[in-house]
Parts: sequence; structure tokens; C-alpha cells
Amino acid sequence: MKSLRKLCLHAVLLLSMSVISLSSWAQSDPTGESPVTRTYALTNATVITKPGTELKETTVIIKDGLIQSVGKNASIPANAQVIDASELYVYAAFIDGMSNTGAKRPENPQRPQNLFTPDPPNFYAGITPENSVVEQLDVESSSIASLREAGFAISNTVPYGRMLPGSSALILLNDADHADDIIMKKDAALFAQWVGAPGAYPGNILGMMAKWRNLYRNAVQDKKHSELYAQNPAGMTRPENDRVSQAFFPVIAQQKPVMFNVDGVLDVRRAMRLRDDLGFPLIVAGVEQSWELADELKATNTPIFLSLDLPDEPKASDDEDKSEEMAAMEERRMEFYKIHVAQAAKLQEAGVNFGFAVGSVRSNSIWKNVQTYIDNGLSTDAALAALTTNPASILGISQVVGTVETGKLANVMVTTAPLFTKDAKVKMMFVDGDKYEYEVKERKKAANGGDNSSATTGDPVTGSWTYALITPQGDQGGKMVISKEGSNYSGYLTSDDGSPDTAMNNISFRDSELAFDFSIDAGGQSVQIVVVGTVTGKTYDATATVSFGGQDISMDLTATKDEQ
Amino acid sequence: MKTKNILLSLLLVLCTSAFAQEAPKGDVLFKGGTVLTITNGALENTDVLVRDGKISRIGKGLRAPNGVETVDITGKFLMPGIIDAHSHIAGSAINEGTSQVTAEVSMEDVVDPYDVSIYRALAGGVTSIHLMHGSANVIGGQNETMKLRWGQTDPDMLRFEGAPRTIKFALGENPTRGARARGIQPQSRMGIEMMLRNSFSEAQEYEKRWKAYNASKDPKKVAPEYDLRMQTLVDILNGEVLVHCHSYRADEIYMLLKVFSDFNIPRLTFQHANEAYKVAPELAAFGATASVFADWWAYKLEVYYSTAYNAAILHENGVLTSINSDSGELIRHLFHEAAKTQKYGNLSDDEALAMITLNPAKQLGIDNRVGSIEVGKDADIAIFDNHPLSIYAVPQMTFVDGVKYFDINNDKADQRIYIDPESSIEEVTLFEKMDYNHRCMEGAAIFFGQNLINHQH
Repeated sequence: MKSLRKLCLHAVLLLSMSVISLSSWAQSDPTGESPVTRTYALTNATVITKPGTELKETTVIIKDGLIQSVGKNASIPANAQVIDASELYVYAAFIDGMSNTGAKRPENPQRPQNLFTPDPPNFYAGITPENSVVEQLDVESSSIASLREAGFAISNTVPYGRMLPGSSALILLNDADHADDIIMKKDAALFAQWVGAPGAYPGNILGMMAKWRNLYRNAVQDKKHSELYAQNPAGMTRPENDRVSQAFFPVIAQQKPVMFNVDGVLDVRRAMRLRDDLGFPLIVAGVEQSWELADELKATNTPIFLSLDLPDEPKASDDEDKSEEMAAMEERRMEFYKIHVAQAAKLQEAGVNFGFAVGSVRSNSIWKNVQTYIDNGLSTDAALAALTTNPASILGISQVVGTVETGKLANVMVTTAPLFTKDAKVKMMFVDGDKYEYEVKERKKAANGGDNSSATTGDPVTGSWTYALITPQGDQGGKMVISKEGSNYSGYLTSDDGSPDTAMNNISFRDSELAFDFSIDAGGQSVQIVVVGTVTGKTYDATATVSFGGQDISMDLTATKDEQ
Repeated sequence: MKTKNILLSLLLVLCTSAFAQEAPKGDVLFKGGTVLTITNGALENTDVLVRDGKISRIGKGLRAPNGVETVDITGKFLMPGIIDAHSHIAGSAINEGTSQVTAEVSMEDVVDPYDVSIYRALAGGVTSIHLMHGSANVIGGQNETMKLRWGQTDPDMLRFEGAPRTIKFALGENPTRGARARGIQPQSRMGIEMMLRNSFSEAQEYEKRWKAYNASKDPKKVAPEYDLRMQTLVDILNGEVLVHCHSYRADEIYMLLKVFSDFNIPRLTFQHANEAYKVAPELAAFGATASVFADWWAYKLEVYYSTAYNAAILHENGVLTSINSDSGELIRHLFHEAAKTQKYGNLSDDEALAMITLNPAKQLGIDNRVGSIEVGKDADIAIFDNHPLSIYAVPQMTFVDGVKYFDINNDKADQRIYIDPESSIEEVTLFEKMDYNHRCMEGAAIFFGQNLINHQH
């Protein structure tokens, strides 16, 4: 109700805005937040116009949301705010290949009766390609500001959902009153992922591959039918208004790519296999295992957004009595860690057109993880290209963004030192010509020996917990790690048996009740487990509930907060 | 615009086919072993020459052409690589069990080349498996016939090129269990039969719609809805997809024979089929085949009425029979399983070995390529130190297309080809070291940590 009212208000605001001309918008601003001028001159800066090209003592003039000039002898407009940038470095702002930035996760669809059918309702099966992330955008989401602070001006934001959640959009990471203000390109890509419907068809990769083929094949038929009907409808059966099918039409016409969110190498191959069978333009994104695919990606000209989510560096046991076998296994595990962190260099070497996908990586880990790729062989020019020019070309927006050149959109990042050096910090961001400034703090001196930022937040749930899930097959344990950004919690569960980490979703904490859910793969089928419980001091007592085959099974989950 | 699209798709095809790689093929001369041909008895002191992945000569005193490696197998035994007609290793998912008829799904989409079980199977002399969909639903998914080319990480590289399509059906307790819990069809074996008949009848209607569409000369014709599920059933009716049906009881086996007779589907293999011996003459009359366990039963009610003579009885009644594993463990010693037909049924060496080579090859429609040692066949070969039907037999080397994928003398401890950098490592615990008080476990020498058995990639 509340949000609806807000939406109406936005609509009214927008209407009045279009009546008043844009140039006069600063005249009546009761908030006093509007800038005095939108014309800026960054003087005497070191400008990295694009990867590998650096201009010294150069002035960049930003006006009307555009880069008006880049040069040594620029004449500075009278109304420009002059910023002495002689100690600063100017780059094109970063472009994120895929994340949910600015999108709000909709509530899980209600479980319909009788799910055990060959064709459950599309909303539950997750087949909603006709939708758009635009409907999920929340301009107040803290993810927009935090990604901007990490140097990004554009995100290809994708909708939440299951196998075919809808279309992604390119959004400008600006503070705005209304979603329409930040949408740069609607319908950027048809977004797809391997997320099965819990307990319904298609439940796993087997069904999803088949469903894809079936949907696409019918869409090709429907498209042909619609086109013939449009030419001459007389005497022809009327084509159905099938929105799912219609959503594929621009893809079939090669006008819109399919973006597959695929992390593992086999999942990437499956997306490529569908592409080979069906013939749609494909972008793979969020990829965590690309090293075996470098040559094939190059040969098939498949753009890729590499995940910025990196594995933690494994630590060898310091047990002096450990067996030779254990030591050998640790060595092999390290071998694969090295392969993981060297994959960006491998793509660079193979000449693959790649960018980075922020995905669910916390914005304060992004620079660190890019640095890890650089430390393992990626050149700094290639890293910058993967954050600017490459994503611009993959997403079809190189004409307007990706470099610091006259006529481009004023998406500019200003840093205190050359990028990818230890002292580099974002000092200023320009997004669509709007300026944001950041206070660059000196490295905090630890007051009392500790420098643990999460400990200082004082939040009762953030931090690391040791949990035990009591299942009929025995106890399962691991760490439950929760962090908080703005008002949003995020977290993951590790497992003592070495299974991969599991993301905690929909974390909420209110009145000492902590609730979240996570999904596990049970024999190839995604099963959701909902955990609800109470936090008392450093202990958490909860019940974990699984709905499977129409039945609810409950288990106990207890956790104790680790000492900081 | 249109020509541009055509060009684009052409380009796409070109790009992808340009990248398509061929599986590696090897050249090798096996010198001086006992060659168990399956189709032509045991040939002592015989050489086998492999050129470009195929068996090119079998004889005595063969000489290695230039550049071809010679493997001395004096005193050893050479047999065709073992074929497991029922396996669930190397699959990322096994059941799409969310609906009772999922003919459209295919295991070829979910092959997992990183599963270390592939290497373990090679170490048991296995060269091909039939990766099957599970038995959760009446008409499950299509299966994938594979060659175990361990180390290849592109799933396409593990396909048995040219093998016919096959599909999994399931009768009895498994598909009715889920349905009863949900209160839907099929609640009983009767419901399963009706579900099969309805599905085939629907497929016939589907085929009619498409035939009418294709035959129509009306310029205003509109294509019927495409349905991959129905299309697969049509392909079964037309004999293009071989059915392998999970079954136990004689009554359900007989029921399916009648259904297939009514719909004129000629080829049918029963998997498990523990009670098949009760209807062996009927199976023989139909021409149906069986793929069974040597001696595994009583794990649920419908599998109590069983005998270790099942394979031998079926064989003696003229039913083509194979012995399968359905297990990542049994697959490592299928030669032992085959040998049990000599204890329970007195089958000859050739007959017993055919149960794990030529017979499964016939059931999978790949007997023109593998299953025996004959000139022109694929060089999928297992080498044993003793006769493979001896309890002392240990596999020594395994070749697929003349390329060696297992060698007991070069068997490094950690064969995994992918390791999760965030996985934890457990110390292997030796019981003797740990605790002498566990008298009840005396004799059980070694206990492996969970991680060592269930390596996850």
C-alpha cells in the first residue's frame, strides 16, 4: 500500500517535471540538494582515456551529462565548478556485466495445489521471460550507492526469479526519485539461469534443457505465424497472444542476446549447447570456471562476464604430524585455487572478449578480487578493459560509454592514485553527469589492536557462527557467516563436509527473530529450506523446515556465535 | 535482413563445427597374450594390432608398424572392454521426477566428465556405460551411451558417437510410490499400464496432426504446437528410440510385452527384471532382452522373489541377457558378476563374458562397434593378469579407441581432474591405529573417511 502511494507520488512528480523545462529544475528545490551547476572542469588531471592511453596535465570538462572536452587547452565555461585534479586520476567509470543491483527480490510465488503435473503454472515454474527487471527496481536500494562507491556507473541488472525471470536492463547508478530516471536501456538481454522450480517441473537441469528447446522451437513457429498473419490475416487461424513465446521473438531475430547466469564449467557448456542447437546470440555471465573454455569462447565469439566471486585461498593444515597423503591433497587443492585466480589472465591470453560480473559479491570485495586476478597474471590494462571498454562493447553501448572521450556520457571515476595500486581510492564519481564525492580516509589506525569492521557494527547477528543442523542422517555442521550492508543482510553457510558454500537468502532479523532460507541440491532437484529461530545473546535456536512432496519436514538448527 | 539472418546462422554453424573436436584414437600392438574374442573363443599366444582406434589385425607373429608402440601381454588376458548397460555415474542429475512422463529430457545434457567414478570404472575394465535416467517416473528421460574417455572434460568427448537413442521407462513400486504420496495416477501397476497406453495414443494423435500439416498444400496452414515430449514418444513408436524398462515382477514384465505388441514397438530391454525367469519363454517369443543383477535382491518388497540363476535361465531360454551394475561400486568388478553365472548355471566362458560385453552391446545397439575382439571393431580393450572369470583376476590396463586410460602400473593416488579450492580435507583414519577397543569391528581393517569415498568435484 505504502509503496503504491509512493509510486503515485513519483508519477505526479514526473508529470510536473515534464511540464517545467529541465534547465529550470534548480529554481524550486525545497530540499536544497540539487547542485548549483552541472558543469564541471577537472583541471590538470592525469586522464586514462582508455586502457593503455594516458594523458598528463589534462582538463576534462563535463557539461549537460556529457564529456564536453578532454584536452590540454580546454576553455573552461564560466559556470563550471573548477576542480583542481592535479593530484588525481580520471578514468571511465566501471560497467558491471551482471548483478541484481537496484532490484528488489519479489516474494516467493505461492505454492499452487497439485504441482505434480507436466505443466505447472508458468509463474511457479519460473518461466516469465515477458517480465522485466524494471518492475523490480527500487531506487532506494542501498546496492546502487554502494556499487557506485566501488567505481561503477552502470550495471546490467537482472531480475530475480527462476529459469527465465525476464529481461535485464542497463541502469545508471544514480540517486533518483523514479526508476525511469536511471534506466539507460530497457530489454538489454533476456536473462536465463539454471534454477529449477522447487518440487515442480522443470525441477532440475534435465527438465530445464528440454523446456528451453520446447519453448524456443514453439516461439520460432509462433513468430513465423505472426509474421504471415500480419501480412495477410484473411483465412488464417489467429495467432495466440502468447507472451512467453513473444518474449523470444527479438532473440530469434538476433536483435537481443540471451544472458545466461552460469557459474560452473558444465553449466556454461549447457548454455552454449543450447545456443548451438537453437541459434540464439549468447552472453555467459557470472562464470567461475572458464579456463577450459578459453579457446572455445574465442572460436565461437562468445562474450563472457567473469565472476568477481573468488574462492578463498585454501590454508594448509599446520599439523606437523599430518600424513603425506594429506599434504599431497592440500597441494592439489592449492593447484586448483591457482587455476581459479589465473583464469582472467588465461582469457586475456586467448584473446577472449570478457568483462566482469559483480553478481552477489559485496562491493567492498570487488577491488580486492580484481587485484587477485592481476596478481595472478592479468595485466592492468586488460583489467581496466574488462571493467570499461569490454562490457561496453558486449552490451552494445560503446558509442556512449566506456572511455573518457569527447561526446561520451559523463560516467567518470576520479581516484587518488593510479588504479590497481595500493593507495588508489575513489575520490569522486560522475554518473550521467551527476557528481558524488567521497571522503578519502587515511587508513584507520587500530585503536585497541583490533581492526575488525564487522565487530564494530555491534549488530547482534553479523559475524561468524558455528551451526549444527540435526538431520535424520546425522548432524551437519559448519559456519554461518552473516554480514550487513545498509539495512540488508547477506550471508552464507559453509559445510564441514567440504560441500560448496550455500547462500543464505531473505535474511531478516527483527525482535530477536532471525529468519532466512537456503536451497540445496537433492539428487539434482532444488529444495528450499526455511530457517526461523530466536537469537539469545550468542546462541541461535531455530527450526529448519523443508517442504518436499507436499510434506513438511522439520529439523533443529542451533548455532553459537564465534568469539571475535 | 533475411539474408543477414541466414548468414548469421550459417556463420554460427561454421563456428561451432569448426571447433568440434574428434575423440583421440590410438595405435598399439598387443603382443603374445590370450585373446578372449567372445565370438571366436580364446586364442592363445595371439597378437592384436590396433590402427587409428580400430582393431586392424588379429594373429600370430604380427609386427609393429613404424611408430606403433608394442605392449607385451605375454601371460596376460585381453578381452573386449566391459560394457555396463545400467549406470548412473557421471551424471549431474539423474531424475527429473517432477512429472510422470518426461520423455523429452535427456541424460546427454547432464554428462559430468569430472566424476572420478569414471576412472574407477576404467580400473575395473569398463570402457562403455549406459548412463540412465532414474526410475522415479513411468516414462523417464532419454539415456546416454558413453565411452569412458577419462580426462576429457568436454562432455561431447565422452559420447558414444553414432549409438542409437535409448529411453528409460519404470514400472512397479518406484513410480507408484511418488504418485500415491501425491494422490495422483498411477496408484498401482494398473495405473502405470493406462498411463503408458494413454501416452502412446496421445503420441499417435500428435504424429497425425504433424503429418496432416506437412501434407497440406494450403498456403494458410499453421503448424501445430511443437511438443518435444510427444515427439520423443513418436520416435519410440517408430523404433528410433530403444526402450530400457526398469521392472522386477513377472506380471508387470508381461504387461509391458502386451502394450508393446499392441503398439507394434519391436525392441525392448527389461532392466533389473528379477522375476524375468518366470516369463523367459514369453520374452524370447517377443524378442525382448534382459539386463539383470547377478545376485542382488530383497532391498524392497517387489524384489524378494529372486534367484541367482536368473541370467542363466534367461540365456538358456534364448533371451539375450546382460549383467549390469547400477552402482559406482559394482561397476568396478563386473567380471566377478559375470563369473557368478558359471557357479549358478554353468555357462561357458564365452557365454559368461558375453553377459558383460557383446550382449549389453546388442541391447544398446552398438554391437557393430564393440563387444567382441574382431577386425574392424573399435579397440575398446581390457587387459587382465589372470582370466577375467577367475577370482584372482586384476585388471591391468584399459584402452578406449586404442588409447590407454588406465594402467595399474601408472595409477597415481589422486586421479581427480577438478578439486574445489574451498573443499575441506579429512585425514584418512586407520582403525588399527585409532582404537583397539572396537572388538566388534575386528577384521575390518581400514575405515575410510567419508570424503575419500565420495569425492565431489
